[in-house]
Amino acid sequence: MNGPSDFIFYAAAALTVGSAILVATLPNIIYAAVALLFAFAGVAGLYVFLSADFLAATQVLVYVGGILVLILFAVFLSNRLADVKISNPGHFHLPAAAVCLVLFGVLSYTAVSTPFAVKTAVYLPTTADIGEMLMTRYLLPFEVASVLLLAALIGAALLSRPERGTPEKADMEEGRG
Amino acid sequence: MTPIAMDTGALVRGLYCILPEMVVIGTAILVLLADLLLPEEGKKRLCHLSVAGVAAAILSALWLGPGKIEGFSGMIVHDGMGLFFTLTILAAALLTLMMATGYSEWEGTQKGEFYALILLSTSGMLFMAEGTDLMTVFLGLETLSIPIYCLVGFHRGRMRSLEGAMKYFLLGAFSSGFFLYGIALMYAAAGTTRIPVIASMMRDARLYGNPVFLAGIGLLLVGFAFKVSLVPFHMWTPDAYEGAPTLVTAFMGAAVKAAAFAALLRVVLLTFPAILPAMSGVLWVLAALTMTVGNFSALLQNNMKRMLAYSSIAHAGYILVGLTAGGVAGGQAVLFYVLVYAFMNLGAFGVIMLVAQREDDGYDIDNFAGIGFRYPVLGGLLSLFLVSLAGIPPTAGFVGKFYLFGAAVRSGYVGLAVLGVLNSAVSVYYYLRPVVSMYMAPAPEGIPVPRPPRSAFSFALCASAAAVLLLGVMPASALEFAERSVLSLLM
Amino acid sequence: MTLDKFLVVAAALFCCGLYTVMTRRNAVAVLMGVELILNAANINFVAFSHFLSRVMGGQIFAVFVIVLAAAEAAVALAIFLRLFATTGTVEVDTADQLKG
Repeated sequence: MNGPSDFIFYAAAALTVGSAILVATLPNIIYAAVALLFAFAGVAGLYVFLSADFLAATQVLVYVGGILVLILFAVFLSNRLADVKISNPGHFHLPAAAVCLVLFGVLSYTAVSTPFAVKTAVYLPTTADIGEMLMTRYLLPFEVASVLLLAALIGAALLSRPERGTPEKADMEEGRG
Repeated sequence: MTPIAMDTGALVRGLYCILPEMVVIGTAILVLLADLLLPEEGKKRLCHLSVAGVAAAILSALWLGPGKIEGFSGMIVHDGMGLFFTLTILAAALLTLMMATGYSEWEGTQKGEFYALILLSTSGMLFMAEGTDLMTVFLGLETLSIPIYCLVGFHRGRMRSLEGAMKYFLLGAFSSGFFLYGIALMYAAAGTTRIPVIASMMRDARLYGNPVFLAGIGLLLVGFAFKVSLVPFHMWTPDAYEGAPTLVTAFMGAAVKAAAFAALLRVVLLTFPAILPAMSGVLWVLAALTMTVGNFSALLQNNMKRMLAYSSIAHAGYILVGLTAGGVAGGQAVLFYVLVYAFMNLGAFGVIMLVAQREDDGYDIDNFAGIGFRYPVLGGLLSLFLVSLAGIPPTAGFVGKFYLFGAAVRSGYVGLAVLGVLNSAVSVYYYLRPVVSMYMAPAPEGIPVPRPPRSAFSFALCASAAAVLLLGVMPASALEFAERSVLSLLM
Repeated sequence: MTLDKFLVVAAALFCCGLYTVMTRRNAVAVLMGVELILNAANINFVAFSHFLSRVMGGQIFAVFVIVLAAAEAAVALAIFLRLFATTGTVEVDTADQLKG
């Protein structure tokens, strides 16, 4: 495949990696969250090239529409907006960068040097197949995932709900002081 | 569009194979429903209901027996090893819930969500211990972790509890990322996530020489190392353990460790023999580092909870010695030690829960001064559990360590075994420090009166003590069970 | 578009996530790094599923990862907000009641 599709692939890849680098480096956490939006969108674009239409749609709906909104909530609610400095100071950048670069080198070297037995790619709609497999071969993981979601719901509700009956305890004060 | 072919027989067989898990999840949902219906003063029934549910799950696991039952097209298997770990995890959950009868009243965790989260986490552990597909193992791991993140932060007004929850969550999510990337690379090299299929492919040099596969195994190990808190991936452990409600700390130490080691054992015993030369060095270093750093950090602690947290790191190191040794002997020693550790850890936490009057500074070692003679039963129990943790005969801890280090010697890792023994000697110092303080130090004025335990609480403590003694004096049948379990996995 | 190009993109994403987790002090930013790592793993799964096998195990795995990410984000929001309400900060270091 050449021409426009190659160009679009490189654009999506550049968008993904570029935004990810911005997420990692931008000092302002709100900007970082917005960069994360573009990274997620870029990944959705990459899925299209991998004949994963269902996943591309899910990526946009759940990641961009759900998870990113949660993260933005967390950013806005956990920063006093009155404070001008919503900055995000980090520490020990150099060693971290060195570790990451080395790991990137190792991972991409193994990826490029390994001869994978690539089969000819086919582009077919996947949604029906995924649905069927979730109900047959992957039924158990599907059910475990539902238990996982139930646990997350209970836990999140428990932590964020206001205290029942009794007012907040005295050790709240200790935390503030 | 063709209708989906459902094989009813296979489905029923699958459901039969996950019977204990279903009982546990069903109990969790029942508890949530009952929480809505029960009046405020009847909430302690919720705890009784959970205990009954876990007991029923234990019975159902025993009913399934050690025979091999595969379910859900090879996603999960109930075999001898699955049974061993199922029983260990359920026993730990049962003891935890029995202790909850008293603890919930004192610390205000008398809520349906508390029990439901413990039960859901238990079900995740069972899935993880019995999963034969990395997908099941991964989802089980997350199902066990997410409730634990919330349980650590259960004391919502207490600063340390929330802080522990945040740190545990961030590092847990981070380690899941490693775990997942590792699985992805293994999937790339092998084309499947089935553990037995990967194992059978390991005879092919193209797979175990494949750098992608090795990178995958490495990342997977890092993910596991975070979960079982091996040095240098242990930073979260002391904070999460100290911050969590003590009951949750006890549960984490006993059950989470058992589940994670179950999955690790399945992967290691089945796939590593082929790549052992490369991997045994890594495991050797991890085990040596974990034992040494865990023990020496525990020396410096003055808080009992924190000390036991570092000791749990050291114990993960001991268990890793058995994994490094590998083979039937190593596997048997690991299984036995995981079981023993569950009892002695839960027991020790149970006693300090009674002595400490409140969270945080209630666990300072000074609080234990002089209680030995004044409260002989409590003092005796705590001494027993600590002596067992230190690995002194005639307790189960000694037998467990004997088999772990024996397996290492037999596999030719004499250096590692010597290091383990030296570490145990160091650990005697900090385990006996509270004992000395209990019996030798003069009791300060106004010594706090330990909480009067509920009958279920006392029963749980006595059962743990009995298990520690029995497994120490006549370990033969448990060891044989462990050996048969490992053999059932390898065949 | 060959497999190795996708793998290099995934590796880059993974390392960006790793760098974020290692250097950021704000808990929410660390969570963003974790999300990047999960996305990197997902690209791997989907790419392998597309190029190497006819069965779609990789895509199914990716679906579960997205489920997990949503669950984690919900729990994370609950923990962070409660911590913020208690202490007024979500900096990983400032929360230092617990010390070794």
